[in-house]
Amino acid sequence: MRPASRWVRVAAIEAAALVFLLAAPRFLERGTLNDIWNVAFAVILASAWNLLGGFAGQVSIGYSAFIGIGAYTTALLALKGVNPYATLPLAALFAATFSLVVGLPTFRLRGPYFTIATIGVSEAVRVVAAGVAFTGGSSGLRMPAGSFSFTRNYASMVILAVAVVALAAWVKESPFGYALAAIRQDIDAAEALGVNSTKYKLLVHALSAAIVAVAGSLFAINFQYISPGSVFDFRLSLSIVLMPIVGGLGTIAGPVLGALLFGYLQIKLLSSPGLRDSYLFIYGTMLIAVMLFEPKGLLGLFHRLRRGLARSLSRPVPDAG
Amino acid sequence: MPAETILSVQGLTKRYEGLLALAGIDFDVARGEIFGVIGPNGAGKTTLFSCLVGAVAPTSGTILFRGDRIDRLPNHAVVARGLVRTHQIVRPFRDMTVRQNVSIGAHFGSGRRRKEDAGQRVGQILEKTGLIGKAEALAGTLTIGELKRLEIARALATEPEILCLDEVMGGLNPSEIMDAMKLIVSIRDSGVTVLMIEHHVHAVVGVSDRILVLNFGQKISEGIPSAVISHPEVISAYLGEEAV
Repeated sequence: MRPASRWVRVAAIEAAALVFLLAAPRFLERGTLNDIWNVAFAVILASAWNLLGGFAGQVSIGYSAFIGIGAYTTALLALKGVNPYATLPLAALFAATFSLVVGLPTFRLRGPYFTIATIGVSEAVRVVAAGVAFTGGSSGLRMPAGSFSFTRNYASMVILAVAVVALAAWVKESPFGYALAAIRQDIDAAEALGVNSTKYKLLVHALSAAIVAVAGSLFAINFQYISPGSVFDFRLSLSIVLMPIVGGLGTIAGPVLGALLFGYLQIKLLSSPGLRDSYLFIYGTMLIAVMLFEPKGLLGLFHRLRRGLARSLSRPVPDAG
Repeated sequence: MPAETILSVQGLTKRYEGLLALAGIDFDVARGEIFGVIGPNGAGKTTLFSCLVGAVAPTSGTILFRGDRIDRLPNHAVVARGLVRTHQIVRPFRDMTVRQNVSIGAHFGSGRRRKEDAGQRVGQILEKTGLIGKAEALAGTLTIGELKRLEIARALATEPEILCLDEVMGGLNPSEIMDAMKLIVSIRDSGVTVLMIEHHVHAVVGVSDRILVLNFGQKISEGIPSAVISHPEVISAYLGEEAV
């Protein structure tokens, strides 16, 4: 597809999605809006992770750390009397800075060191948050009682979701995105053409961490209560990895599709007590199915079906007999 | 040499565990030369290029590029200064188009701060290397001849002062080799100093101003092509002792 028409299409879909999502509170019930909130949260996490994991090929299994950093920054400052929404830039800044703690020592190395470090560091963060006094320990933090507006939180979440998808589309076609793609495909060849691979890995990690932290802040504001078990959960980190992989790694629509599927499943599973604990089994099965049958995920499956359909439509009808 | 020395290599040594890949190599390259590097397999030619661009850290020795030491710089920093190499075994970004591959060089090489539009520069280079018709094709779909030209095009897009070509004629047919020789001369004529490793001795003798011969990590000869290829040590390195 020509780049220009691609931009027009992305912009049109994004604008339509934004208008619909912002108008939705006028005609949808609170329960449905809650579901949309959950999916928007998942879209942000999946699309932001995809910037690093999909575009640059650096797999992190520790993203709950950034959700937690965002959530705790907001909760702690809100308890000091700061307007929760005013804490978002600081949450982003803290998470971006913290991303360097993992990235600086490991991005220079070749091999799986970064991925391994992300698991260790995120678990360490969870243990610290549960153990020290100022975070409220394992019993967590309750946001100060105040004038909480779901509509405002909902609007912030869907705007952020649409903005992150737009950002990903822009990054993918920018020189920055080309550098990330080059790093993913052949890091030595990228260096040989002047790409400072360590710098761009650190940059995209920080960008992605900042976005995830803002989503974590909005999560804290919405639920009014956070604990290490809710925001630093390792299973949350795993879901963040699985959504883009199941949807279509390194694409724009893939993480959105993955988030829709996971968001929907999460809602269905959590509301039926019999299936409540089966979600890891279901996620694992989906991951295996993707790896075996369609490494490009749901989006790859969709393209394959469309090609197959186009072929069978254009094929001349065989003579009978 | 009356011309300005653009590259000066002194005592360059690279030791891998138990293997001396480069044993104290010295040579100078003048601005505007085509400087050939030949030698049997395993002579250390590719290791030499890897050390020059910083892809591999030399064990000892110095590399001066326009008078500045570059032997401790990482690869991307050397490219930013204007010294770039191609790979003998082509390394395209297969999931990207030819145009995107080349634009990486334009955006991140030494020409990255130039005012002219990067897209326009990429177009000119695709034209020059005969890849314009394949600009929107995925690099993974190219033939070997096209991939060799893509290696050159990407490196040229970084706007180097020195271009190191590692066996860009390997696997090409005779008419493609003729085209490649013309391309190399035209690159030199546009003001770029060219270092080239080449197995096709006739091609390298045909276009080089001077040639360096390596064998087992040692420099065994250096000079104008006609003198170098008649040097007894060079003949013995290529053909064995009895031929001398």
